[in-house]
Amino acid sequence: MARLPLLLARRRLVDEVTEELESHVELLTARYVRSGMDPDEARLAARRQLGNTTRVREEIYTMNSVDWLGAVAYDLRYAYRLLTKNPGFSVAAIAIVALGIGATTSIFSILYSVLLKPLPYKDPGRIYSAEIIVPERRGQLPSLPASVEAYLAWRDTRSDFAEIAALGPWECNLTGDLDPERVGGARVSANFFSFLGVSLAKGRGFNVDEEQPGRERVVIISDAFWRRRYGADSSLVGRQIMINGESHTVIGIAPPGLLVPTGTLLHPQVPFASRVDIWKPISAMKRGLNNESWDHGVLVRLAPDGVRETGRQQLETIINELVRVQMPRLKTNVTVQLIPIREIYAGKVRLRLLMLFGASALLLLTACASLANLLLARVVTRASEFATRLALGAGRARIVNLTIAEASVLALIGGAIGVALATFGVRVLASYGPEDVRLMTSALVSLPTLTFAILASFITAFACGLYPAWRASRYEMATALQEGGRGSFGGAGRSRRILVGLEMAFATALLATAGLLLHSFINVMQADRGYQIERVLAADISLFGDRYAKAPSRVAFYHELASNVRALPGVSAAGMISGLPAVPSTTTASRTILLPSDAIFQQVVLSRPVAMIRGVTSGYFAASRTALMAGRFLSDGESGPVAVISESLARRLWPRELATSSIGRQIRQSNTDSPLITVVGVAGDARPGALDREALPVVYRPYEQWANGLMTLVVRTAQDPAALAPAVRATVRAMDHNLPVLAIHTMREIVASTVAERQFQMMLTSVFAILALLLGALGLYGVVSYSVACSTRDIGLRIALGARRPDVFRWVFARGMQPVLVGLLLGLVGAVATARGLRNLLFEVAPTDPLALGLMSLVLLLSAGLACYPPASRAARIDPAAALRSG
Amino acid sequence: MANGTQPGRIDVLQGTLDLMVLTTLESMGPLHGYGIARRIEQISEATLWLNEGTVYTSLMRLQQRGWISATWGTSENNRKAKYYSITRSGRRQLKAETKKWERIAGVITRLLSTVQQS
Repeated sequence: MARLPLLLARRRLVDEVTEELESHVELLTARYVRSGMDPDEARLAARRQLGNTTRVREEIYTMNSVDWLGAVAYDLRYAYRLLTKNPGFSVAAIAIVALGIGATTSIFSILYSVLLKPLPYKDPGRIYSAEIIVPERRGQLPSLPASVEAYLAWRDTRSDFAEIAALGPWECNLTGDLDPERVGGARVSANFFSFLGVSLAKGRGFNVDEEQPGRERVVIISDAFWRRRYGADSSLVGRQIMINGESHTVIGIAPPGLLVPTGTLLHPQVPFASRVDIWKPISAMKRGLNNESWDHGVLVRLAPDGVRETGRQQLETIINELVRVQMPRLKTNVTVQLIPIREIYAGKVRLRLLMLFGASALLLLTACASLANLLLARVVTRASEFATRLALGAGRARIVNLTIAEASVLALIGGAIGVALATFGVRVLASYGPEDVRLMTSALVSLPTLTFAILASFITAFACGLYPAWRASRYEMATALQEGGRGSFGGAGRSRRILVGLEMAFATALLATAGLLLHSFINVMQADRGYQIERVLAADISLFGDRYAKAPSRVAFYHELASNVRALPGVSAAGMISGLPAVPSTTTASRTILLPSDAIFQQVVLSRPVAMIRGVTSGYFAASRTALMAGRFLSDGESGPVAVISESLARRLWPRELATSSIGRQIRQSNTDSPLITVVGVAGDARPGALDREALPVVYRPYEQWANGLMTLVVRTAQDPAALAPAVRATVRAMDHNLPVLAIHTMREIVASTVAERQFQMMLTSVFAILALLLGALGLYGVVSYSVACSTRDIGLRIALGARRPDVFRWVFARGMQPVLVGLLLGLVGAVATARGLRNLLFEVAPTDPLALGLMSLVLLLSAGLACYPPASRAARIDPAAALRSG
Repeated sequence: MANGTQPGRIDVLQGTLDLMVLTTLESMGPLHGYGIARRIEQISEATLWLNEGTVYTSLMRLQQRGWISATWGTSENNRKAKYYSITRSGRRQLKAETKKWERIAGVITRLLSTVQQS
């Protein structure tokens, strides 16, 4: 609004000065004519005397200018010229910025994808996962997933929720013309895809009647699986494929990039495979709560006018009603908790991502300090230029602008390269990152990411440019001239040392954090999980088809396989287990364990522990090196129902008793009328690979007594286990060439994959720390070198006056290390303070872990020492005569 | 600017021009741009090469800082002309600048004399 009058005023001022100039020319011409000049000549002389009047007009124009953009453009052009004049400096500065911006932008891109980007569902903010909390169970299971029965009750009663969907893990064997293959999938309610608001790429979704037994042999497959296994054959829709020995119709293909819960994202007790590629309707049969497994996830969508808390209470009332009707003697009052779907995907990684973002920000800060340091060095060398500009009437603001413009050009070019680095970085990070992060991260740089990068670049420019700019504007001509164009070394030297101290503090904080994470990672990898990790090979082997329809044939096969593998050279033990304890398994059942004296199920069920039932062949314990605490392990061909139970189960069943006293006692699985099982041994507890939570206790049963689930062959080898994989594969092929041998991995690989997030974070933080250290060391080198160069005369004089060279070396070295020590101290304090907040990310490592902190401090001191050494020894070699002459 | 320079004359620095303009207005009272240019020429006894157009940028600068003010009048050749006069804050500034200038000049003189000695 106020612009227009200003613009008009400016035009008027220019017109006025034009008039004044014309009048000036006339008066001067008249004067020359009076002194006897020819009129034309006089006018020419007058014009010459006036100089460039266009320029005067232009200056008047800009002086009254609100056109700051024009001034900015001028400053930027100036900065650009300056930077091209000094390519070495520019390249270094741009590289520093690119590094900082690249790192932060990469992490921000992932952070945005996982934590901020709207989930690819219809109205995702209204979707929740419903979990059930049984107060009496909380100690063992903080929350339970739902059962089909609960899902049906919720679905069929009016509530504040518009839609309710159920999903449960499923794994299946695909056979037929193509190679047999085991595929991770899910059984879902018919409305699953419409619930999420996802439309299929091809074909149709499930119909409600396809939830009924007999009609459920229809599947929808993922886009990736369709491309990989079927070569994107569009005639697949409507065709039959063999799944678990039964023919199913493919009715649809999901859109590419469909995001669904995998692994244990949805709930620890609902473990999906690491990829979900095939969906089949659940069989929505009412079976009564008694016979049900609580192993289904339930997603609910709040109605447009629904209230979350009201809906939650409604679900709670419905399920309590159900419990009261079906299990009247179960005295409990369960609660329902709603978890926003965002939490399902982001909850586990949020802290890690935020911590990584913090680390990258610290790297950016280090980069800023380095850049400020470089700019300051330049301001010092250009002191006389600034002084001259000031003397010529340039305003201080102008000098500040020029310096900031220079920083801006550097930051913007660096930022652009940083974004390019980030597009590459995100791809690398996503491919090395944990599965959940990979699923959600698109390699493309999104608009928010770009905005972030540009903002970060500008902030960098200001942060780096402001102080040097302020210093530049403080130059007084007199001082600058007095110092012969070298500028005031003392002041800038001090601020440069402070900046180096800051860089060192940031680098220390990063190094220390990396050290703590590294130590945690080593601890995690070396932790005793109750089974051997080194020199163990594991192979998933599933049997399907008519040949293995009956349990005895499966038992015979697995026993034969185990003994064939045991006979291979280099194998010291081999056995089978249904589901490795290291990874959550989709097929391992958990059951309530009852005592023989328990008579009424509903009365005791909540006070009895839940355990996972795992079928094993006799060789498993030896192959996995599970510890025996009491009794004996299982052998093939036990006479009656027997079990080896884990130590924690023994403790829960018979507290305050020794493990040995469990031997010979009896238990029941699931129900009061199920057969009694004799405990013959107590085994050490096996913990999950990630060690992130306590595993459920385990009941090991002989496979012939518990022939359920997918079996994994565990082989202990004398040498490198990976070398044995082909022989194991050949053994299986020789027994049945139709069988798919699924993944064969070493136990180390399996455990490593469960700690992928930890590893990812540890490695990235280390990379950031190393880069920060590098920047800090280079900055230190620069500052010490410069100070030596500036005090060459001074040092020369000292040497001439008899200072010993080692003393000079020590003096320069100590002066260089001073900011390092201060930075180290600050950085350590900062790292310990943050590590307290990140305690959950550490593993058996205190935030003040002396090993990690000490080692990293040593690394920092060594690097700093290396950076100070060359300039210090240069100082010690100064030739006093030459130094004094040159000054 | 350099192509207008005449041998033996010194270019006028921008910062110093402001000081000269202020001094002129202080000693001569209200003047228009032409008059200021003539007065500086006269005082410098033709040792300074003044690009007379820059007087007007200097005047604009001083006006913006509130050190001088301008009123319209009529010039000797009967044209409308702007007459400039120094303001109270201009006088204060002049005093301060003069002191500073003397200090700098002293420093430079001393500096130059040591250079010549060594």
